[in-house]
Amino acid sequence: MTLLSARGVARRFGSRTALHPTDVALAAGEAVALVGPNGAGKSTLLSILAGALEPSEGVVERPPRVGWVPQRAAHYGRLTALENLALFASLEGVPRARAEELAAEFELPADTRAASLSVGNRQRLDVALALLGSPEVLLLDEPTASLDPAQRERVWTIARDVADGGGAVLVATHHWEELEGLADRTLELSHGRLL
Amino acid sequence: MLLWKDLRTLVRTPALLVVLLAYPLLIAALLGLVAGYASSKPRVAFVDEDGLPAYIVVGTHRFDVTKTIDEVARNVRLVRLGADEAARELADGKVVAVVTVPPGFVATLQQMVESPTLELSVTRGGTSGRVRQQVQALVYDLNRKLQRAYIDANLKYVQLILHGGDGSFLGQSFDVLGLDGTERELRALPQNARVQRIEDFVHDARRALARTDDALRATAAPIQLQELPQRGRTASLSAQVQAYALGLTITFLALVLAAGALAGERDENVLGRLARGLVSPGRLVAAKVALAALLATVLGFAVALAFAVVIVLGNAPGGEPWSRLPLLAAGLALAGAALGGVGALVGALARESRTASLVAVLLVLPMVFLGLIPAEVFAAAGWASDALPFAHGVRLFSAILFDLHPWGAIAREAAWLVGLTVVFSLAARAAVRPFRP
Repeated sequence: MTLLSARGVARRFGSRTALHPTDVALAAGEAVALVGPNGAGKSTLLSILAGALEPSEGVVERPPRVGWVPQRAAHYGRLTALENLALFASLEGVPRARAEELAAEFELPADTRAASLSVGNRQRLDVALALLGSPEVLLLDEPTASLDPAQRERVWTIARDVADGGGAVLVATHHWEELEGLADRTLELSHGRLL
Repeated sequence: MLLWKDLRTLVRTPALLVVLLAYPLLIAALLGLVAGYASSKPRVAFVDEDGLPAYIVVGTHRFDVTKTIDEVARNVRLVRLGADEAARELADGKVVAVVTVPPGFVATLQQMVESPTLELSVTRGGTSGRVRQQVQALVYDLNRKLQRAYIDANLKYVQLILHGGDGSFLGQSFDVLGLDGTERELRALPQNARVQRIEDFVHDARRALARTDDALRATAAPIQLQELPQRGRTASLSAQVQAYALGLTITFLALVLAAGALAGERDENVLGRLARGLVSPGRLVAAKVALAALLATVLGFAVALAFAVVIVLGNAPGGEPWSRLPLLAAGLALAGAALGGVGALVGALARESRTASLVAVLLVLPMVFLGLIPAEVFAAAGWASDALPFAHGVRLFSAILFDLHPWGAIAREAAWLVGLTVVFSLAARAAVRPFRP
């Protein structure tokens, strides 16, 4: 069963085309790796699939609950990790208890402002934010770039759990080796085109 | 929730909060000083081409020239210059006017037959009317000083006519019989009807001339202006100063906060997260406008209360219009929202919060000064000011706090502010840039 599909999605920024018309489909239970060099268009494609960026053309059909971890930290630096989780839980209509549960699960410092957290902790906060709504589709954009090996393993486990639970996962990375044993298939993007 | 987040963020940067409050109050104080300087005495050149002596005798009065000029020059600062130097300084704008005493002035004055003339040259531009009024006031005060001397001199001639004696006019001496002497001569004549008629005339003339003193004074000054004791507030606590201080404070606060807060969403890289159906751009702008309105209300009200406390403690005449303060809170919210709309537009157009804050700070003073320029002086400034919230806010605060019948002005200015809030918020909504990975 297809959970998310994109047909002919493309994105241009002024005269520059970041993503040429592209078709992507994610089926229930699969984890897909999206690989390619820097500037290939991986983040643009994930942003479009997540609904964070409107495509210049094409259509995306997605389920109501989509989790997204952007490449760059995306939370409020002057709020604590728990306050960030509580704020976005409120905006998503998720109970505050879920925010507290994720803060504990990811062992995020309770009273420290996000801006003062380590890069790794900020990345874990973003992963926790993506999991707030118990997503059916999880879109991860270089989620382990700043994590130590144990934390990486933990993120991959979470991703695998989502897929095994009937969801779908799309992970963008330019580290092929990390995804061995995780990805069911691989999509390769180069110069804004799927190969 | 976004408003809660913004407030919490603000509370966690107390230094910013202090600066946002202290800076506009400092600017308001400096503006007050500048306004005070602007209303200080203009510099007027005094050119003496007649060679005024140290003392001038007019009639029976002796005038100390320097002292008299100092006494009458209350509204201007007179500086003695030569004719050429005065002309150059007038051309350069170093003096705003030149008052020239032409040759023959003192002689004409002392003859008391015709009025001597002072010559006035006034600089061009918007202040010329005010300068002309101040120099006219100087001449008016000088005339009042001379008035008594002229009247006394005229009365001396009247006394001669009444009582007789020696006198002089235009350098010629004469002896006058006077009405007293005439009466004595008439009594010495054989009495008949013709002599009686002349005696009756002399009697009537003496009675009439006895009232000449008051009549002459009334003719010299048909209407006199009596200055009553001052009962209003001092200038520093005036309605205008209070309205401008409120306006300036919330303009700076609301504009900078709204601009920084909206641009900050981009800095935090959360626009993409919010754009995923959580918060629309319109709701995002509305949250910043609400933040600006809320803080403008709270901090503007605090400033108004501080004014009120000073007025009460200082026992200022008229007191503080306490009953109007709730209405002022509503006015502050309206003005804060409109200013927040402008700030949100700046924040939406800027790429980052530092740029947005800098642009917002740079916008504040031009916006305020546009609101200070009278439309009669420069019409285009009035139009530009109408398109921005500051002047409407000031007029609204002034009407709310001090107008006897404020509702017309309140309705008009509130409508302007609501309209500007809508226009600027829609523009900000359209200018919010999409998330860019």
